Amino acid sequence: MIELPLIFVGGLLGSAHCIGMCGPLAIALSSAGPERLLRRQLVFSLGRLFTYASCGAMAGFGGAWISASSRTFVLSQAWLALLAGVVLVLMGLATAGLLPRPALQFFGAASCGAAGWMKTFLNSPSWTGVLLAGVFTGFIPCGLVYAFLLKAGSSGGIWQGWLTMAAFGLGTVPLMVAVGYGGRLFSVAGRARLFRIAAWCIVLTGAISIARGASQLNTPVDEAAEACPFCASDVESP
Amino acid sequence: MNAEESTRYCALCGLPVLPTLAWSRENSAGDLEYCCSGCRTVASIDEADSLSDSAASSVWRMGVAIFFAMNVMVFTLALWSRDVYSADAYTTELADVLHGLFRWAALLFSLPVLFLLGEPIAVGVWQALRRRSLTTDFLILLGVSAAFAYSTVSVLRGEGQIYFEVAVMVLVFVSLGRYLEARGKLRASQSLDELSALLPATARRRDAQGGFTEVAAAEIRTDDVIRVLPGERLPVDGILCQGSALIDEQIVTGESTASEKTLGDPVYSGTLNIDGDLQITVTAANGQETLSRILALVREARLARPAYQRLADRIVYWFLPTVCLIAIVSAYWQGAQHGADRGILTALAVVLIACPCALGLATPMALWTSLGRAAEGGVLFRSGLVVEQLASIRGACFDKTGTLTTGAARAAEFLPAAAESPEHLLPIAGDIAAGSSHGASQAVLAYVENHVAAWRPTDRWTVESLPGRGVLADDPGWGRVALGSRRLMTELGCAIPADLADRLERAAAACQQVFLAVGDRVAGVFLLHEHLRDEAVGALQTCRQLGLRLALLTGDDSNRARAIGQACGIESHGQLLPEEKAAHIQELARRGTMAMIGDGLNDAPAIATTQVGVALGCGADVTRDAAGVCLLSNDLRRFPWAVRLARHTLRVVKQNLFWAFAYNSAGILLAATGRLNPIWAALAMAISSLLVVTNSLRLGRFPLGVERISPAGSAAPALKSVDSGHRPATDELTAAGETAKMGA
Repeated sequence: MIELPLIFVGGLLGSAHCIGMCGPLAIALSSAGPERLLRRQLVFSLGRLFTYASCGAMAGFGGAWISASSRTFVLSQAWLALLAGVVLVLMGLATAGLLPRPALQFFGAASCGAAGWMKTFLNSPSWTGVLLAGVFTGFIPCGLVYAFLLKAGSSGGIWQGWLTMAAFGLGTVPLMVAVGYGGRLFSVAGRARLFRIAAWCIVLTGAISIARGASQLNTPVDEAAEACPFCASDVESP
Repeated sequence: MNAEESTRYCALCGLPVLPTLAWSRENSAGDLEYCCSGCRTVASIDEADSLSDSAASSVWRMGVAIFFAMNVMVFTLALWSRDVYSADAYTTELADVLHGLFRWAALLFSLPVLFLLGEPIAVGVWQALRRRSLTTDFLILLGVSAAFAYSTVSVLRGEGQIYFEVAVMVLVFVSLGRYLEARGKLRASQSLDELSALLPATARRRDAQGGFTEVAAAEIRTDDVIRVLPGERLPVDGILCQGSALIDEQIVTGESTASEKTLGDPVYSGTLNIDGDLQITVTAANGQETLSRILALVREARLARPAYQRLADRIVYWFLPTVCLIAIVSAYWQGAQHGADRGILTALAVVLIACPCALGLATPMALWTSLGRAAEGGVLFRSGLVVEQLASIRGACFDKTGTLTTGAARAAEFLPAAAESPEHLLPIAGDIAAGSSHGASQAVLAYVENHVAAWRPTDRWTVESLPGRGVLADDPGWGRVALGSRRLMTELGCAIPADLADRLERAAAACQQVFLAVGDRVAGVFLLHEHLRDEAVGALQTCRQLGLRLALLTGDDSNRARAIGQACGIESHGQLLPEEKAAHIQELARRGTMAMIGDGLNDAPAIATTQVGVALGCGADVTRDAAGVCLLSNDLRRFPWAVRLARHTLRVVKQNLFWAFAYNSAGILLAATGRLNPIWAALAMAISSLLVVTNSLRLGRFPLGVERISPAGSAAPALKSVDSGHRPATDELTAAGETAKMGA
């Protein structure tokens, strides 16, 4: 999985975009001492990570299942990789400001509704509450997450899907913790610069995915789905 | 099934508890009853909310359970991927170890879910069992437990299929669906709650020392004196005993302009005191006052079961035994062919997909929402049955006086005989008119007061009243003085002077004529005009657009009926005796259900004859008459609005029923043949109920066509009311309705 570091960076920098939506939730985590707050933030992010990774695993399984059941007539995995790549490139370009960003309004409204509902968890003093808040934050509609989920789906296995999303989620941790911990860490200009770097990371991830899909389309059929979910975790599909 | 005998309401949403298959109805003491496990969940959440720190345990349960369920899913997918990849990939020892490990992990992680989500359902089942009734929850629980037990045995034996994900996901979806469904139900009664929230919880009661102390509204008794400050809503019905004020009675009468109330005037609960410091002697309080009676009426209306609902009830009644049978048969069949596990899963899928939640909810949800919305719009339906009937009307008959016209006629003109001067005659007419409270006399009195400066009636005569004809008095100077109909003049032998008769010929035939006779000749005639309601023409136009045949039925003179009929553009039938009215309506009803719209005062028999009686302006006394539909205000436009709402409601009911039937029958077929995984069945069940609930809740956003009543006791409604006074009385249902909706 050569893209894993790239995905991590995409998550790391791309999460500048998440601050608008998930940031308020992270800030809403109330706590007494700063040390405790840091731990709460980490647990919150762990919850998100859990959701992302689980969904990644499911997407990976779904992708594998589709390619297995359609093995004989379509190279699903290759096409999935192509699709994910295209979506990622589009997402990246949109984040870079080169494409208009549709549907953002809708997502914003959805997260507002969720924020009220999640108050119970966010305000809870216990660790379980914070963790669950993170788990459900992970479900907040987010274009970036969906793009990487597609990527996870094209990864060809449950374990690879899990890894993809875990890498992405891990990438989002530092900035979210920073936001929840200390409020504004970057100036607006600095955020904009981060945004642009993140955008190109995402575009690059997408491009790699497209290239991989295209190369798979050119390889013999029976090599398409070879990875084993348990033991061949890091074996790269050709 | 004996639901009618003792109706029980859900302790959370206040909706009636739907009948279940029960062989005994007595309620075990002390149990709060809920209409569904969702309501039980939401109730426990609210309870926890109020206890704040003791953990909102139900949200907690749901959250933790979902967390574990996601784990179980991932483990299960990992196990499933063995089927996806070729067997060669699994030859290593590590793969086998992982495989066994994941099976155990799935078992361990599904245990908390079973406990967390299974328990609330089990509690409901247990309660139902103690009531000796059987619910679908019982069957679901049975199926889930069976799937879980089978999988546990598989894990322990180290071979065989496991279905933890089925048990877990079914529980999650069922709980989630119930939870959302309960929230939806809560919203169905929300409009009523909003109305009852208008009643203040406390009131200032005068104590023995003459001071005022704040007490709970429930402690107020009849004959107490309470004080209401400007900007507050009245908590009780009463008589004004000190102060005067403008009072906004929109909530009760629907009148959008505030009315001036002074000493001795009756005032109603829920109305808004705009500008006066008032003291009120209580005549009715604590659930007996106007607003509470209105709300009680709407709640009662929910109980009557219209035909559609009775149909659904009958089906639900037979459903459970039938579903049990199908489940057992298909389970046996599938089990014999493919093994016990397939049998269990098939039975579970059948039970889940057949759960008649959607079917049971289809009609009541739509009706309940609609009844609440109607109440918000100033229309009270006596029952759900009436909604159904109103939706099916093909025509409507209107009473004239007080319905199409404002009740009181006004004297527009006085024609004196050639030899007489109005200055001389009017005080005479005024004095004799003052002796009677009849509408015509009052109109004459008002005319005299307006046209003779600084005139006050004197009681110089003893006035004798001849019902249906007029009034008489004896004056020592002029002899007999009479005020009344042409018939009275003929009876008294008073001739109408030729010039007067001539002018009467030319006067509008639509006018009611009141003759004044002094001595033995007619000295003058008052011409009384009836005023068509401002909104009448527009309202009737809307009715016609709805495809209704319209007719005017009145006991009044044919000429006047015709004149009003022409003004409104509807056919008219005058000089009808009450029984003739009734016969006429029955004649019309042969071509389709008819509604009769009247003010409920002088047309009670006609209203009672029609399938759908509609009474106008009954806000101040909702229990007054027998009409099925009460328009709180005197606004005729509420009638076509109510018809539209009723039709829309019926459409929603049909959609709901169609969906529920289609979904259940198609689903059972799939499930019984073993083609439906229980997880999908549970998801479909939740989605189906949600669809029905959300579809019904759309009715709660049906355009009101008037301003909503603002909950806070501020001056805002008054300002709004002033606005609405200027609104042209055109087709308000489309234009104004939309604006009101947007403004809300």
